Amino acid sequence: MSAHHPRGYKAASARAVLERQDMRASVTAATRNFDGNRATAWREIDADTWRDWARDVKRHALTHLGRYLEEAEARLQANGVRVHWAENAAEVHDILGRLLTRHGVRRIVKAKSMLTEELEVNRYLEGRGAQVRETDLGEYIIQLLGQPPSHIIAPAIHIGLEDCRRLFTERFGTSPDASPEALAAAARAALRADFLSADLGISGANFLAADTGTLALIENEGNIRLSTSAPRVHVALVGIEKVVPRLEDLSGFLQLTSRSATGQVIGNYVSLIHGPRRQGDPDGPEALHVVFVDNGRTRLLSDDVAWETLRCVRCGACANICPVYRQTGGHSYGFTYSGPIGAILAPGLLGLKEAMPLPFASTLCGACADVCPVRIPIPELILYWRERAVEAGLVPVAERLGMRAYATAAEHAGAFASAGALLRWVPWEAGGRALPVLGGWAGQRTPPRLSPRSFRSLWEEGIR
Amino acid sequence: MRVALFATCLADRLYADACADAVRLLRRLGVEVHFPAAQTCCGQPALNAGHVAEARRMARHTLRTFRYADHVVLPSGSCAGMLRTHFPQLLEEPEATDLAARTWELSEFMVRVLGVTELGRGLEGRVVAYHHGCHALHELRVHDEPLTLLANAGARLASWEASEECCGFGGLFSVKFPVVSAGMADRKLDTLPPVDMVTSADGGCLMQMSGRAGRRGLAIPFRHLASVLWEAAS
Amino acid sequence: MSARERVLARVRTALEERTRVPHPGPFRGTRPEPPPADPLEGFSTLFLDAGGEVVRVADEAAATAWARAFAAGFGSVAVGATVPPSLAPASRPSAPPETAELGVSMALGAVAETGSLLLHSADGRRTQLLPPTHLVVVHASSIHPTLVGALSSLRSSLPAALGLHSGPSKSADIGQVLLRGVHGPGRVVALIIEA
Repeated sequence: MSAHHPRGYKAASARAVLERQDMRASVTAATRNFDGNRATAWREIDADTWRDWARDVKRHALTHLGRYLEEAEARLQANGVRVHWAENAAEVHDILGRLLTRHGVRRIVKAKSMLTEELEVNRYLEGRGAQVRETDLGEYIIQLLGQPPSHIIAPAIHIGLEDCRRLFTERFGTSPDASPEALAAAARAALRADFLSADLGISGANFLAADTGTLALIENEGNIRLSTSAPRVHVALVGIEKVVPRLEDLSGFLQLTSRSATGQVIGNYVSLIHGPRRQGDPDGPEALHVVFVDNGRTRLLSDDVAWETLRCVRCGACANICPVYRQTGGHSYGFTYSGPIGAILAPGLLGLKEAMPLPFASTLCGACADVCPVRIPIPELILYWRERAVEAGLVPVAERLGMRAYATAAEHAGAFASAGALLRWVPWEAGGRALPVLGGWAGQRTPPRLSPRSFRSLWEEGIR
Repeated sequence: MRVALFATCLADRLYADACADAVRLLRRLGVEVHFPAAQTCCGQPALNAGHVAEARRMARHTLRTFRYADHVVLPSGSCAGMLRTHFPQLLEEPEATDLAARTWELSEFMVRVLGVTELGRGLEGRVVAYHHGCHALHELRVHDEPLTLLANAGARLASWEASEECCGFGGLFSVKFPVVSAGMADRKLDTLPPVDMVTSADGGCLMQMSGRAGRRGLAIPFRHLASVLWEAAS
Repeated sequence: MSARERVLARVRTALEERTRVPHPGPFRGTRPEPPPADPLEGFSTLFLDAGGEVVRVADEAAATAWARAFAAGFGSVAVGATVPPSLAPASRPSAPPETAELGVSMALGAVAETGSLLLHSADGRRTQLLPPTHLVVVHASSIHPTLVGALSSLRSSLPAALGLHSGPSKSADIGQVLLRGVHGPGRVVALIIEA
């Protein structure tokens, strides 16, 4: 996992394209399917209006974040929930460590949470001697394979049926040609035992309504409902940007997020959690802890341009339509969040230097902006980070100098035309990286064919 | 009706004939075409790579070059997109917004400004795959215009699963991440049904896809939309 | 400074110069096509689309009879704590939710807009999730037209956990094949009492 870092993007993405045809095919088929379903689901609603509303609620919540965090904390506490705050991963680990000790935790079940990936929670807990079981089927599969998730909502999207069969034969002794149903049954039986014997359940949260202290979690399998109710302790890690002002706001977000992620009217199970079990409840956790997590979010919030990124609802729609993501899958990005949102969250949360070259891992095709349910201007933000990268000297000097020379030539038509005439003499196969647009082409493509005469000279002669 | 043609740096050198065909086509439709000689590059390659200062310089030069044109017509969706959606923010002067309102990609100009949808039947029986360049599609919202013109000229528009997907060019992206870029071009090529030609309003896209097809030894004719539409009208 | 103080201070600083944005108001959920006027129709259509089953009966007596007949096909039943005794299919052996073949719950209500049953933690979450088949009894009169309306009406009586169940448990994580019953019930029946 040490190779798993944004700086590895160029090599990792190239390897993915050249060596992982099966993965590319799985990812392409799955993402096309998700995007198609999203498009159908959006046609059933006034998507433009819903998206405007969602964007504005989030903008409102974020510009009043302090107030809503305090309100949420007060409500949660009134509901019998213990609220903790953590500025970074180390502080989260400390909090979890103390809970493990306090509650005598040995076995943990986890609901899928990208935040816990960001914070490397599993590694810490296992280091403390706890057994951690991912319960979302996709997360379970990649946990068995020792891989990180490759997509925000479909963590095993890059793994085909054959790979699953091989894994399950090894792990459970299912037959090599087991049907998907048989594989699922094996996982279900194994995980059932885990749910029922776990001491602690860990989840994230999709949203937190401040006025009622409601944690909202969306899923299709039921593992989140089980992880958050069967064990005697439940801990929810909540990124501070997840807060929405009112309970009723959840009605819009639950539906819009579901439609955007998978095309469903709503996720099959939604848990709206307010507190630990009450007197008379047959089951439920005795203790509920919520951790408000910063981990770079306040840094991003302080950026006057990039703070718009924080309204992401983690639906994955951008990755589902991204032609670059389709080619490489999510692992190449070397970061918890991949695809278009990854390209702008990475510099925001990690800092630009650490995030390079992710802001450049895009052709700026613009498809993502069309499908973001909360209208994050992803291409604009990608451009913003690119500008910052140039300013910070993070792009090759040859490129800067080449661009400057190009701009100088472009301010004088005569010089530009003369320089253009030199194109004929450029040794294409050798590279010519300093030439914007036209250099560095070789290896993957035949050189572009120059017209015998430039249009300018054709014009000067007269077009008939 | 007078227009100023902005040939674009790329088409000037790589698709000169297509630019000439654009001139012929516009004249055929009764439009007087001017070619402001001071034109060079709109600055998009610089902007997309994060070099804002250089982009601004080129944008300013372009603005000055075209400031007096009634309409600016480009045989390029991406460059038209640059003028229309990026110049106003980049230059922050009212003239830029003004220019944006008078800027058009060629097929869009024909349909939306000239009101022309029929050119002739010069493409009768030809099977054509249309590649929607990303800037034309997402920035200019040009989609039906080229398809209408092609279909009305007798072309049969091939059904192409990846027709609206990015070809992988992305300016410097194609040289920073050439393998991924080629992979994206491969997706376009691998999903292409048998056709007589592939056409697009963007030279950059054509260059990317034809270059990749060439490397793979695929004999697929790639032609600029301006030339195809001129053929439709001839 | 505690983590709480540090984080809140950072939030405050970050927002110092930021223009405040007002709340746009309640969610309207408008659509190009209006939803079915009858909430029962609206709920049923969506619940069925999602793979759930819908049974409509005239009154409680009919519901009891139907539930009894249905439960006859199962070896054991776990009954949720909020299911009225009159509705519970007492004829079958009861078992804890961990082993029962059928779970029976009483819904707080339902939502037509999303095709969701509203389930209360006081009913028992294990009964709602562990048995492979789930029978949920719901009164037609408690079907809210919209989700926002449902949440609004529940505001003053929110349970430890409110579950929205909108169909059988499903996953497509194994080779993108749609599977049911991992981990919640693979079969869910909404028994709607129309009276």
